[in-house]
Amino acid sequence: MHNGKKDILLHLYGEATDAEELRSLLRDEELRREHAALSEAKFRLDHLKRERPDPVIMDRILAAAAGEQGLPSSTDRKDRPAVARSARMRKVMLPALTIAAAILFGVAVGWFSSQPGTAQVDEPAVATAPDDIVPPESLYRFVPPQPVTPASTQDPRLAWDDSAPLMDMHRRIESMRPEGMLDWGEQAVPLESLPGSGSRSLQLTGSNKN
Amino acid sequence: MHPADEVLVARYVEEADQAAFRTLVDRHQERVFGYLRGMVKDRDVANDLFQETFFRVIRALNKERGSYTRQGKFLGWVLRIARNAALDHLRARKKWQDLGNGDDGDESAWWDRLPDDGPSALESVQDMEEADLLKACIDRLPPEQREVVLLRHESDLTFREIADMTDCSINTALGRMRYALINLRRMMEEAKRLEHIPASD
Repeated sequence: MHNGKKDILLHLYGEATDAEELRSLLRDEELRREHAALSEAKFRLDHLKRERPDPVIMDRILAAAAGEQGLPSSTDRKDRPAVARSARMRKVMLPALTIAAAILFGVAVGWFSSQPGTAQVDEPAVATAPDDIVPPESLYRFVPPQPVTPASTQDPRLAWDDSAPLMDMHRRIESMRPEGMLDWGEQAVPLESLPGSGSRSLQLTGSNKN
Repeated sequence: MHPADEVLVARYVEEADQAAFRTLVDRHQERVFGYLRGMVKDRDVANDLFQETFFRVIRALNKERGSYTRQGKFLGWVLRIARNAALDHLRARKKWQDLGNGDDGDESAWWDRLPDDGPSALESVQDMEEADLLKACIDRLPPEQREVVLLRHESDLTFREIADMTDCSINTALGRMRYALINLRRMMEEAKRLEHIPASD
């Protein structure tokens, strides 16, 4: 910076006190304009009202100086942000994760429902059997359990299982069932007591007709 | 007659004289707080930093940290602590960029470094009192110019002390002050000019 301008500033702030030097500086037109401009700004700054800290801050400082209030150590101050960060994590991250999980769940449900296999399973039930739709009020009505048709009354034969040997075998099995009533877990009975034990096809162990 | 800072410091440290410490804080509170308020531009933050500064002072005087050597410059020492606290705060918010010592004298690009956070000081000029307007203009100064203004006008440091504190030459400190005054005057004139422009509605 030009020495004249620097000296003008020092005079303006009272850090140079040689009045004769100032007079000689102000004989220069440019320096005189500079002095006037800087003086105007300085005048405004000089009349700014000064601010003070809040009284409660002063009270805390004086209490700390008197030893009434423990001063936070430097290590305590270093720990404080970590606590703040974890609190912020709880405050911000948990709701965000919850929302993200809900969105993922919704996307997953939407994806499964849009799969061809699942969609085709649901559609016929709605489209082809509208009469089977249960009215809402029936949901609150007691429906007695329907009697289950005994399996023995149904014809166990398959539609294509109608050849003569199979039909014959089926009749023989059916004729044995009502008298024998044997099943897994029941007590063993001698073979002689079984129906047809007198036929030629069955004979006692150790007996030899020949 | 008011006791010197060094006498008060000695009374507090050696005799646990709380009244002496209270006198010290009362004596310098405006110089320290004004500087902090101007640096961080926020009264609440300035209150926090002011408290932190004097907590550090108390620790140092109680020998937990021995940076005070009683060289007869209590205010300068306290302001150095306050400056560190303020710069820590500003650096954490990326609102301070350390400059070189500025001896190249290049202050011409200061407009490029104008802080750009918050509304322009000139936008709401019609609602401002002159003092508020001037404070808003100070807030709009580049940080290095603003700091010199604050240290000179709020803290009453000399340019030599400012140069020592901000680690630059006295010529640089004077240059920053000169540009700050020129820019403040220009901004105030602009604000006054806008004040006379009717609202466009």
